[in-house]
Amino acid sequence: MSVDRRKIAVFSAAFVLRLVLICLFPSLPDLLTGRVEVSTPVNSFKRLQEGLFLYTRNVSPYDGGVFHQAPLLLPLFALLPEAQFHPLPTAIFYIFVDLVNAQALATISESGQSVKSRLHSAIRKHIRWDGVSVAAWFLFNPFTIATCLARSTSVFTASGILFAVSNAVSGNTVNSMLALGFASYLSLYPALLFVPLVLLCFDQRAQGQSQVPNVALFVIQHGAMLVGSVSALLGLSYLITGNFWEFMSATYGFHLLVPDLTPNSGLWWYFFIEMFDSFREFFLGVFWLHLASYVGGLTTRLRRQPLFVITSLLGVFAIFKPYPSISDASLFLALLPLYRHLFPLMRYTFFAISAILYSSLLGPAFYHLWIYAGSGNANFFYAITLVWSLGLSILLADAVFAAIRDEWEQEHPESQGQEVKQV
Amino acid sequence: MTDKHGDQASPQTLATHADTSNVKKVPPPETPEAIQTRFRVIAAFWAVIIFLGFPIWWKTTSIYRAHLPIQEMVDWADSKACRPVFPLEIHLATPGLQSTEAQHLLRTTQHTLDDLNEFAAHHLRLKLADDHTGEEDVTEDKADTALTVRLLPQEDIAVPRSEIHTDTAQLDVFYPPSQVPAPSSSNPPLSAFIAEELQRLYSEEKATIAHILSGNTAGLDSTSPQVAESISRRLRRSMKYAETYHLSFSLFTPGAEPSSWDIEAAVHEYLSPLLEAFAPISNFTVDTQVQLYATFSPTAPLPEYDETEAAWNLKKEDLSAFINAAEWPLNPSIGNGPTINFILYVPSPSQSPLIVKENRASSWIIPQWGGVFLLNPDLSPKSKSNPAHLSQESLRPAFMTFSHQLLTLLGTPSTPASLPLRLHTLIRMRAAALLLSASSTMGSLARLTESLPSIPIPATVAASVSTTLSHLAATCSNLRDGRFSAALASARIAEAEAERSFFEKSMVGQVYFPDEHKVAVYLPLLGPIGVPLVVGLVKELKRIVASRKARRQAA
Repeated sequence: MSVDRRKIAVFSAAFVLRLVLICLFPSLPDLLTGRVEVSTPVNSFKRLQEGLFLYTRNVSPYDGGVFHQAPLLLPLFALLPEAQFHPLPTAIFYIFVDLVNAQALATISESGQSVKSRLHSAIRKHIRWDGVSVAAWFLFNPFTIATCLARSTSVFTASGILFAVSNAVSGNTVNSMLALGFASYLSLYPALLFVPLVLLCFDQRAQGQSQVPNVALFVIQHGAMLVGSVSALLGLSYLITGNFWEFMSATYGFHLLVPDLTPNSGLWWYFFIEMFDSFREFFLGVFWLHLASYVGGLTTRLRRQPLFVITSLLGVFAIFKPYPSISDASLFLALLPLYRHLFPLMRYTFFAISAILYSSLLGPAFYHLWIYAGSGNANFFYAITLVWSLGLSILLADAVFAAIRDEWEQEHPESQGQEVKQV
Repeated sequence: MTDKHGDQASPQTLATHADTSNVKKVPPPETPEAIQTRFRVIAAFWAVIIFLGFPIWWKTTSIYRAHLPIQEMVDWADSKACRPVFPLEIHLATPGLQSTEAQHLLRTTQHTLDDLNEFAAHHLRLKLADDHTGEEDVTEDKADTALTVRLLPQEDIAVPRSEIHTDTAQLDVFYPPSQVPAPSSSNPPLSAFIAEELQRLYSEEKATIAHILSGNTAGLDSTSPQVAESISRRLRRSMKYAETYHLSFSLFTPGAEPSSWDIEAAVHEYLSPLLEAFAPISNFTVDTQVQLYATFSPTAPLPEYDETEAAWNLKKEDLSAFINAAEWPLNPSIGNGPTINFILYVPSPSQSPLIVKENRASSWIIPQWGGVFLLNPDLSPKSKSNPAHLSQESLRPAFMTFSHQLLTLLGTPSTPASLPLRLHTLIRMRAAALLLSASSTMGSLARLTESLPSIPIPATVAASVSTTLSHLAATCSNLRDGRFSAALASARIAEAEAERSFFEKSMVGQVYFPDEHKVAVYLPLLGPIGVPLVVGLVKELKRIVASRKARRQAA
């Protein structure tokens, strides 16, 4: 009961903090909605409102080429009062989504999957945070708060992913696939998480039973579930929009072909601004393949810790996806505390955290210099996004290193605590 | 620098050597499981590259080059594929002659004509227009009749005389009945007269076509320098051929009046018939505007008052500064196709009447741009002001002038007097010019695709080229058969398609993209990504080979 009281305290504190921020600074949500670091063309609340405006007036929401999000969000938001005049219901809705995400995180943490899974058991099991701490870490992360206040639709993708994982660790494999289907339907890229997630489900299933089920059959079954849930959602979207190819090209085509090069915190926009036109398709392919190629390698290497594969893939996505925002980073940072036991093995935490702080403070300043003051140019902002990506990459690489080191120490107990050198 | 570097490097390597040899801090051997995991990781990355990366690379960077009939295109450009000829069919109507007499006259006249002609590509073919049954079946194969010559006997004249109809393609030749050639005479004077008349009618056209076909350098030998000069001057003044011309009629006046004009009725009444006559050659769009308070540019010389003439005079050399290009809203071009501007200028009452000093003219042409007409309306006697409205009737002289200017700007020859004949001449000139221009575009395109092997050739270009070539061939055969309107229609399509294929956007994108740039594009990619992947692959292959060898040795 005492644990529950802590949880209630944390959750209500998070709720009140967000509400207070909105009430004390009523212009804050709109300010954050306009920030390129928070709102990208695929998750911006402003664009969602534009789509909603068209949708409620029976015009195709994709007319005008502003709205690029999944059509099922429209009837959902049509139920809420207009955010322009009554911002509070929408804000409270978003706060609840955040709390639900935190609850999913707490479930994941309490399952202990991060320290002890079917094939792996960490050495430093005792160094860990409980679910409430992990949830608190997520809820009081300024990136999460900013995303919530900016009402970015990435939070729905995040809940899809978190629910997929939390259902997987609790053994509800069907729900897990349905949740992943929802996330993939919203943002496309979560589909890449299928391989580690299905392995996580498989491990969970195999752990409970004495007899190990057939891997291939299991994967095919769950793949079919994922495809089924995505096609059901697409079917519903077709019913809403009425024009299948229009919404497909406006949403997934937009994700894949990256036509909008508005600056964001990622690496794609600058590169494609500078790209020779004739090589644009080729490099689109290269960038997407680069993003996708980590799935196979990481899953194979860290086969024994599928949850860690998911965590590190989320880090990869936060860095290399076409329209990343701080919400992606916040999702990665939310899952990282599950691996509190790896922190002693990480070597560059100070440098990584400094780089992230440095870039999150200087990023808005450089953006202002470039866009508003006119005393800087695009390179200012791009340089800061490079630093941001560098910070995240170091954190990610360090975490992966620590995980591998952990596995290594398990195999070689005699070399625990020794200096290692990469050869 | 290298020395220093070497100095620094050597102790390090020594140290590591010492480390490994002395302390024996060898890492524990890898388990087979770890080796297999590493192999799988490398295989996973390479699988993505081979099964997804290479197809994408192939698909996105391969250049599609549709097949073009290069040799055929070059042949057209070198005018090997077609020698344009212009056989003009002239009908001879002889109502007052016997059939045999007419035949004889035809033969002798044709003979004389052939003797006179020195430009083989352009020749006149006489034909008797007597069989009226033939005229009824108007088939496609029938050649256009360029001219009908009607031979009419007239009693009261001594020598033959000719009269050309200005509104139809007909030449009347009046001859004294006594001059009907006897079947025996080989060179009757009437034949000579007709031949000379025809020759004179077509001399300018002949010279012009020779000028066009010879590439604007030298015309016929016999062409006098004056004629050659006038032809090249006319070609210089006329607009470049276009599918569609925009005619823009503008009323400019420095004051508030006149503020309206009966332009719609005037265009309909005075201009539409001419534009309809031009329909086989070009299309036209017409727009109009009225600009009040249109002042001269501040630098332009002002008109001077001439007491003797009681008129305001513009000097001839100042006419080029008359248009206030900075302030008068004269669009250079609307849509695609050139604009021909016609300016009707009504001077202010204080400067009326306004004329050109040297020749007392009230209009002039601006080469390749348009024409200007100074309209000096009758001032109302009381207030000494311009009329508020220009009626259709008062616009008549202006539009007569504009029509004339339009003919000149479109390159219509100045002779003969008959408008249909001049338009026929223009059709032939345009057909010849378009044939040459489309052919040379084909040649340029062929050379371009030959010299730049890296530019893509989309299928649309290949389709345009084949359309162009087939229409060029159609033009050529139509010309040979004397169907000039059909030839021009084909030539217009050929020209449009040729231009479209040459200016295809997706082709020119890579013109300035040399192969060295590709290194710059691929290197940043291949460096950071390729090196670890390739090194990993090589290491793994080495290991596999070594383990094979070891196994074989053990066995």
